Amino acid sequence: MDPNQETKKQSLADRFREKWFPPAAVIGAFGAFVAAVFRIRPAAKAVQAPAKNTDLTSISFTRPASSAVILAREYRQSAVLGNAASAVPFRRSLEGIAMAAGGNIVALGDDEVRTFDPNGKLTRHWQAPAKASCIGVGPDDRVYMGVSGRVEIFDAGGAHAGGFTAGERDRPAAITAIKIFQNDILVADAAALLIRRYNSQGTQIGLIGTKSKTGKFMLPNKSLDLVVDAKGVVLATDTGRHQVTSWALDGSPLGAFGKFGMSDPADFVGCCNPVNLAVTPDGKVVTAEKMVARVKVFEPDGKLLAVIGPENFDPACIHIYLAVDPQGRILAADPVRREIKIFTQVKKEGRGAEAHE
Amino acid sequence: MSEKSTRRQFIDRSVRILGFTAIGGTAGLLAKRASGNAVFQVDPFKCTACDLCRTSCVLSHSAVKAVNDFDKCGYCQLCPAYMDVTSRPDEKGIPAGKVCPQDALKRRVVGKEDPDDPNNNYYEYAIDETRCDGCGKCVKACKPPAGNGSLRLEIRYARCVECNECSILIACPDNAIVRVHTPGMAPTTPATKARE
Repeated sequence: MDPNQETKKQSLADRFREKWFPPAAVIGAFGAFVAAVFRIRPAAKAVQAPAKNTDLTSISFTRPASSAVILAREYRQSAVLGNAASAVPFRRSLEGIAMAAGGNIVALGDDEVRTFDPNGKLTRHWQAPAKASCIGVGPDDRVYMGVSGRVEIFDAGGAHAGGFTAGERDRPAAITAIKIFQNDILVADAAALLIRRYNSQGTQIGLIGTKSKTGKFMLPNKSLDLVVDAKGVVLATDTGRHQVTSWALDGSPLGAFGKFGMSDPADFVGCCNPVNLAVTPDGKVVTAEKMVARVKVFEPDGKLLAVIGPENFDPACIHIYLAVDPQGRILAADPVRREIKIFTQVKKEGRGAEAHE
Repeated sequence: MSEKSTRRQFIDRSVRILGFTAIGGTAGLLAKRASGNAVFQVDPFKCTACDLCRTSCVLSHSAVKAVNDFDKCGYCQLCPAYMDVTSRPDEKGIPAGKVCPQDALKRRVVGKEDPDDPNNNYYEYAIDETRCDGCGKCVKACKPPAGNGSLRLEIRYARCVECNECSILIACPDNAIVRVHTPGMAPTTPATKARE
């Protein structure tokens, strides 16, 4: 071995001892000091958390088998629109549905208004205004949307056709539903806890919900939905009272059905239900609930006819937007899974079908 | 040779300077962190109200308490966090059982009371912190979709002893205990308590 090379190796080792060891020792000591002061340890062993399946949405609310309920109607899922498997899925949001003329389905989602034909084929889509919160469609196919306290009106192709401010000057409406009946525009105002009735020019011509004991709806969930049946009866959700209330267009109360209950499927569960409403062509009332995400069909007097169970919807739904097409198919928009499910009646009322009392 | 030596010396010096700068910077950052007004707090978006806040705190009565955000609260008559909605209803059809095992969630009517029909009343819910042990049962029951999610767990600085290593942070399976810099909101440590 070359003696010069040996000397060079020795000198490198010496150099490390002399020049690099002291700073390394300082760094090591400092690290130990920091670890001691701040008690830095390896990641703590994860503690086994208690089971998380005790939330209320996982509780079964059906009656025991000994008192099974035979319902007069049965619905089965027949189609799904807008889900991940469809040609144009809702990727970010689904915030409302409404029926247009000819059985066309109009949906608000992904900042767009999308129109589907009765077979579920997308026929038209256009940009919705930012912050649009709900959608309604008039008999002339004009589209109405609640946008930051205003009702904005568009023609079927998406051209802006007008609008008006809803609510009071110092307290704009929190618009959670819009329905059109003949020339009237009915706007659910969850801030004022009532329904505002406007004419086609946007002039307020009445209030609905004020002629009750409290003078307003009870809405702990800050949401109000309404629907108008073919006779002009306004049905509205009174979620805090767990009722579907009915009103004449002039604001006179006509009746109500529903109560809180966790075991009878005819009752409404949780703090505030039902959250959404629709009405079938034959006058049956369709309701949607949260907490136990399900859809139910009632006679107008409150007799339960059918339940579309929670297995069809995401349990995290706080709304299931509803519409019913001219064939009586129920359209339920799940905003969590961002899909519109269509349910078709498969069993008709008749002999042997005992309606739930 | 002398030229080589100069280069080596230069590299040595540079590395030493860099090393000491790094040490100094780290020490400065740690010192700032230690002396700053950083506090442990519960991230309500991560918290699953798993009950470990109650059992893991070094205090016998946990520093974690439930709080109600009144802006989000629905003032429900049938509050799922107050009453056990699955319990047997009383003669008025209202569930008789309560969710809180410590009876720490209290309510009172706000506005004009309708004594005949409780469905016509709004109720304000508040936490009795002397009773609340941070178990989070009410928080869990209030989460959407059952409730509005107005109840959440919070570390109360009047009770937190600001351990260097929060034992709830170690136990939390959801990493929901986070360090928050809140100038002027430092917890009351035993030393400051003694001064007071």
